[in-house]
Amino acid sequence: MTTQKKKVKKKVVVELTRSDVLKVAAAAVGSIIAAPLLTTGPLSPFGQLKQEQLEGDEQIGHGAVTGDYHWGMVISLDQCIGCEYCMRACCATNDVRADEPWNIVVPEKTSGGATFFLSRPCLHCQNAPCVEVCPVKATYHREDGLVVMDYDRCIGCRYCQVACPYDARQFNWEERNDENPYVPTWGDPEVERRPRGVVEKCTFCIHRIDAGLEKGLVPGVDREATPACVNICPVGARTFGNLKDPNSKVSQLIASNPTLRLRDELGTETSVYYIPPKEGI
Amino acid sequence: MSTSALTQKQPFKLPFSRAFLIWMGFLGVLLVIGLYSAITVFIKGLYITNMSDSVPWGLWITVDLSSIALGSGAFTLSAVVYIFGIKRLQPVIRLAVLVGFAGYTSAMLTLLMDIGRPDRFWHPWVFWNVHSVLWEVTMCITIYLMILLTEFAPVIVEAKFFDKWPKIRRLGHFLHKLTPFLAVLGLLISLLHQSSLGATYGVIKSRPIWFKPSMPIMFVLSAIATGPAVTVAVAYVVEWIIGKRTVPHDVLRIITRFSGVGLLAYGYIKFWDLAAVTYYGRTPGVSSAFALLQEQTPYPFSFWVGEVILGILLPAILFLVPRFSKNPAAAVLGALSAMVGIILHRWNVTVGGLFVPLSYSPGTAYSLPIGRYFPAPIEWGVVILVIGYALTVITLAVRFLPLFEKQEH
Repeated sequence: MTTQKKKVKKKVVVELTRSDVLKVAAAAVGSIIAAPLLTTGPLSPFGQLKQEQLEGDEQIGHGAVTGDYHWGMVISLDQCIGCEYCMRACCATNDVRADEPWNIVVPEKTSGGATFFLSRPCLHCQNAPCVEVCPVKATYHREDGLVVMDYDRCIGCRYCQVACPYDARQFNWEERNDENPYVPTWGDPEVERRPRGVVEKCTFCIHRIDAGLEKGLVPGVDREATPACVNICPVGARTFGNLKDPNSKVSQLIASNPTLRLRDELGTETSVYYIPPKEGI
Repeated sequence: MSTSALTQKQPFKLPFSRAFLIWMGFLGVLLVIGLYSAITVFIKGLYITNMSDSVPWGLWITVDLSSIALGSGAFTLSAVVYIFGIKRLQPVIRLAVLVGFAGYTSAMLTLLMDIGRPDRFWHPWVFWNVHSVLWEVTMCITIYLMILLTEFAPVIVEAKFFDKWPKIRRLGHFLHKLTPFLAVLGLLISLLHQSSLGATYGVIKSRPIWFKPSMPIMFVLSAIATGPAVTVAVAYVVEWIIGKRTVPHDVLRIITRFSGVGLLAYGYIKFWDLAAVTYYGRTPGVSSAFALLQEQTPYPFSFWVGEVILGILLPAILFLVPRFSKNPAAAVLGALSAMVGIILHRWNVTVGGLFVPLSYSPGTAYSLPIGRYFPAPIEWGVVILVIGYALTVITLAVRFLPLFEKQEH
């Protein structure tokens, strides 16, 4: 009984004054408003930086491009026969794990029930979620619009993998010592295997593009400078080239066909365009 | 040296008793299990975890987010004392900073285990990407950890060990004068990263149940509400163990009530978030994602029972109804319950969001597999390391540092 009395007494002694309560309440409300404003709102310093970045990218469709080239691909869903050659050639050329290919091919159905095949490399978004979220700029845009990886800088946090809307990224969970079943039938590795603990993805065969341009070749026209998946396609469903050049094959295909881009509503501005099947999607 | 003489001279320290040794032995076992798991992960790589390309984040990110949230008592209470001038709460500050320090270092330890290249942990400081929420979080957490250390330095230099180093002690006391300034800086930086940990999920537009502006607010509010209650619980539990008053109970009761009000505010936002996302403003993507979670996972149970009842309602009652709020046991029970709630919230956000597969195909047949995940034993092992580490830090500090002596400056 006595202890209870004591407690009651104490409670009265420590009662907060009204001004204390008001101060805390005002501070709490202020902080709650301030925190999101500081991080994401229009008043935030980061928001302004972002605005500046967006304003710099006004050219429609070539968001991150600052150079003369914007490498892109057109994939005809109407022509694709689902043979998976592109996947195999990619795995061999880039020495990708066969069970986790960069470039996938899957059977699909239109809303009318007709079968078609969807293949998906990295789409090289011009507003790329992976580039936005990488804490160390290990994945970034080159001036030709390609989204590339710096394997020496990646810390393996996998935020890009979480953020990519297209499931186009793979993490190296373990040291690679698997045998590549597609070598040498489908090609020989032209790049090194990536180390354990970094994220990797399709590069549009960047090594071929760069080496080809140095030799004066035209990527998308000369085979030596063109991605392996495009070269191997037996039905010519894939076309590669410079989206900035109105005379390139890709630009002409886009001009003369209906095209769609995957999840365009997200505003990712992908560099890969799909020609839908004739009967529609 | 006789132990009994030592305890008499310093009444606020744990006796070096058999119970203390058994407790340290128990912590030692936790640390051995944990270190074994951690070293195994470092040697073999992350493939021995159950994380995969479809669920690249799991238990460790949950622990990381939770320990940062549970350590938020430090910045909240520092702000209350030094910025809003409620000096009555001063006696709890040292303990709050200690709990914050344990929480933040635990988070960094977990992150170090989780990233694929721990040797490159320093990259965010050198290679800046200001557009990345995660970069901002990394910078804030490391800066805030330094603030916590500076705030705690005056306590460390009062340890007996520094009798021999008066210069270092004087430096530590000088740092103490910076405390009000550090509290302001700490408040700003903490509000920023406690919110942006939520924004880490909230900005991912391809994931339907993550993409919403309420994420940062729910993260920061739940942390502000729960963190101080955890500090109170630690104070009571330490008191039961050492048998001496740590922090005056009237102070602890004020904080408990503050937590209760904070939980109600969090509950209010959560209610409207739920109403807006799943009812008034629902979209097909969100609806089908929740339908999937409802069908295939215990998500509804862990949301309603874990997040709402255990995380908000029960602790709010225990903290605010006068009959309970005077009872230390109720405060500890409430804090534990709120802790479970906040951990389940972080888990549900992370793993629930990744469970729902991405959908990007224009066709109707193809869909990615559902992201299945349950932590592997080795992942639990690393969590045991983190828990063992946090308990060791708190135990040693209680035993060797003057946490509870009255400081009038």
